[in-house]
Amino acid sequence: MSGQTADDLEAYRREVRAWLAANLDPRDDDAPARLRGGDAANLSPERVAQQRDLQRRVHEGGYTGITWPAEFGGQGLTPAHEEIFAQESRGYVVADLGIAGLTTTRVCGPTILAHGTDEFRRTHIPRMLSGEEIWVQLFSEPGAGSDLAGVSTRATRTDAGDWVLNGSKVWTSGAYYADYGLCLARTDPTVPKHRGLTWFGVPLTSDGVTIRPIREINGSSEFCEEFFDDVVVSDANRIGAVGDGWTVARTMMVFERLGGDPDESPRHSGARELAPDLVALARRVGRQDDPVTRQLIARAHVIDLVKEQLDAYVAAQAESGTANPNLGSYSKLAAGTLNPVRASIGLEIAAAAGVAWHPEDTEASTTALNYLNGRILAIAGGTNEMQRNGISERILGLPREPAHDLDRPFNELRHN
Amino acid sequence: MLPGVTADQKLFAETAERFIRSTCPVSTVRRVAQREEELDGGYFTEIGELGWLALFVPEEHGGGSPSGQPVLDAGLIAEQRGRYLQPGGIVGSNVAALAITLGGTGEQRALLDDLAGGKALAAWALGDPAGGWEASAGVAVRRDGTGFVLSGTKGLVQDAHLAGWFLVSAAVDGRPALFLLPADAPGLSIEPLAGLDLTHRYAELVLRDVAVPASAVVGQIGGDDLGERLLQVAAVLTVAEMVGAIGELFAMTLEHARNRAAFGRVIGSFQAVKHQLADLSLAVECSRAIATGALTAVQEQTPDAAELASAAKAFVGDAAIDVSQGCLQLHGGIGYTWEHDLHLYLRRLATDRVVFGDPAWHRERICRLHGL
Repeated sequence: MSGQTADDLEAYRREVRAWLAANLDPRDDDAPARLRGGDAANLSPERVAQQRDLQRRVHEGGYTGITWPAEFGGQGLTPAHEEIFAQESRGYVVADLGIAGLTTTRVCGPTILAHGTDEFRRTHIPRMLSGEEIWVQLFSEPGAGSDLAGVSTRATRTDAGDWVLNGSKVWTSGAYYADYGLCLARTDPTVPKHRGLTWFGVPLTSDGVTIRPIREINGSSEFCEEFFDDVVVSDANRIGAVGDGWTVARTMMVFERLGGDPDESPRHSGARELAPDLVALARRVGRQDDPVTRQLIARAHVIDLVKEQLDAYVAAQAESGTANPNLGSYSKLAAGTLNPVRASIGLEIAAAAGVAWHPEDTEASTTALNYLNGRILAIAGGTNEMQRNGISERILGLPREPAHDLDRPFNELRHN
Repeated sequence: MLPGVTADQKLFAETAERFIRSTCPVSTVRRVAQREEELDGGYFTEIGELGWLALFVPEEHGGGSPSGQPVLDAGLIAEQRGRYLQPGGIVGSNVAALAITLGGTGEQRALLDDLAGGKALAAWALGDPAGGWEASAGVAVRRDGTGFVLSGTKGLVQDAHLAGWFLVSAAVDGRPALFLLPADAPGLSIEPLAGLDLTHRYAELVLRDVAVPASAVVGQIGGDDLGERLLQVAAVLTVAEMVGAIGELFAMTLEHARNRAAFGRVIGSFQAVKHQLADLSLAVECSRAIATGALTAVQEQTPDAAELASAAKAFVGDAAIDVSQGCLQLHGGIGYTWEHDLHLYLRRLATDRVVFGDPAWHRERICRLHGL
């Protein structure tokens, strides 16, 4: 599609506009955003079914997987086309399959495109795009979080050439309504930890899979834990070579950093507003003229601006092509260190109203909820400490941490 | 270097750095700071020839900027000046030149040739000794016939001792105004201040019934836009100097951590040190990012220029303290010695943080800009 012209893109835009107007409902801008931990945070089976239908409609219209290869069910177009669809569809109700929906199209799909066999891609990629299959990552374990290569879920080969899974995974976003899990398992514990890993696509309806929601500090259950008891997985569902799982994991982590940002701190759209959530809060508690409160509001606004400018700065450097590929860690660490500050500012402005409210006053509970969620990006998707290691070693060039686990077989290491 | 620069701008900045390293490196700055050497007028005519003082001046008065984007070009020079703690407050001189270019009378414009060439320097007297940065701060104006009489004190005027001219902000009948005064105006005196920063000198500008004619006014009385533009330019250029200083201080500290050994290893191999350096480098990168955004917005006069300039001054002002403190900590005892350059950076940054508005002042301004 390198020969595309501005006219082609304009024609595409007209086509998109006409299709959207004929097939989707306009969006109600006043609809409240879904807050993590809020009452509407968990997706009911009915809602998931409804959203899958909507996704199928968009897929059948030819507007999913716009940049993905046509031979696997995508449209084979350019990022410019994708951007046009994103711009034009902003005013319409599109499918919201929640966090697992994002994981499917932004993390699992691209990883499978990069490492799956042709047969596997032909089978699953179109279903991922149509909403028929929702995928999650089965990555972290109770015994291995930051040390991802230290996972101990075992996959052993059967005489028939299939695999049997045993172990458990945790912090899986949205697994309770997902169909498949992309699972990292240890296939050889007698070699050093990075070398004995392999990925599998596991149907979550298989015998021996138990999914339990984890109740989070905010009371809701977006994350799940999964248990695998003698779960049989076909070798056809293996992704990448046996023992090459860490290569696939690295691909996946890149996609995760690019697309999986579940930043749910209040965002302004269009013209920049002064920390609208906090100004509204200050007015509710009558403190908009209090100099201390005004300083806090402006501090939060400066945080918003700095994060925005840093993301733009990192993106501009990345486009130059000569930049260090790890600069994205700065955006992650900025979110991981500044979001908690911003969440605390809300609590400080609200004072008494932030910690106790009339039960029917759902607006008043938002500040507390934001406070409870403030550290999500300080932990999820790579803790602040992991970002600091990455920045100091891969950007600043400081010596790596001494490692005691790189050359010894996994089964001789101390692990949880 | 601040990103997004053209080849011309890159050359301009590299030439600036070469000039500084050969003419006025930090060792020279230190001697000037310790009053063992005085900066002669030659420094300013040389930087005048390099074009650092001509960026906001029109061509017919010997001005011009390499890229046609004077704010960005001045930002590149400011960054290099900050890196090497250059003396002589040229932010004020550039802002005064911009004021005259935008609103000066024919007579005032005659001064532009000298300002562009570094033959005369100007300083901007905006704030008062109490830390207010509104135009009206510190000075009262009464009308006298067709002219005016100015009385009061402006504070924290950068390198006033070098200035032949002062751009004085004040309010006339409650409306902001700018006056251009020669340093030898009767009733005007400069009270040198002792201070934290050793590389710039600060003074109060004391005005005792200074009578000025109507022709001393720059622009319109109540012409709010000019004063606003000057504040934005002064803020982002000060930020650019700070970003240069912060970056150099951090680079110095990283180098120290790579070389200094303890317990048989370089201290930069300890995770406690690595994590501090990672956090400090985040502050450096965030400062660069918001400075870049603010310089661009002020150059292009976008609707968000005012808030980005203030956000940059507020954020970088706070980051300057964090980085200075963190770098001192990582240097350990050597950083607490007079002979080490670290304190020259620490002192300058803590002071630049306040000049043309400290973080709290700019945060309150952000609220007002948004109508809160």
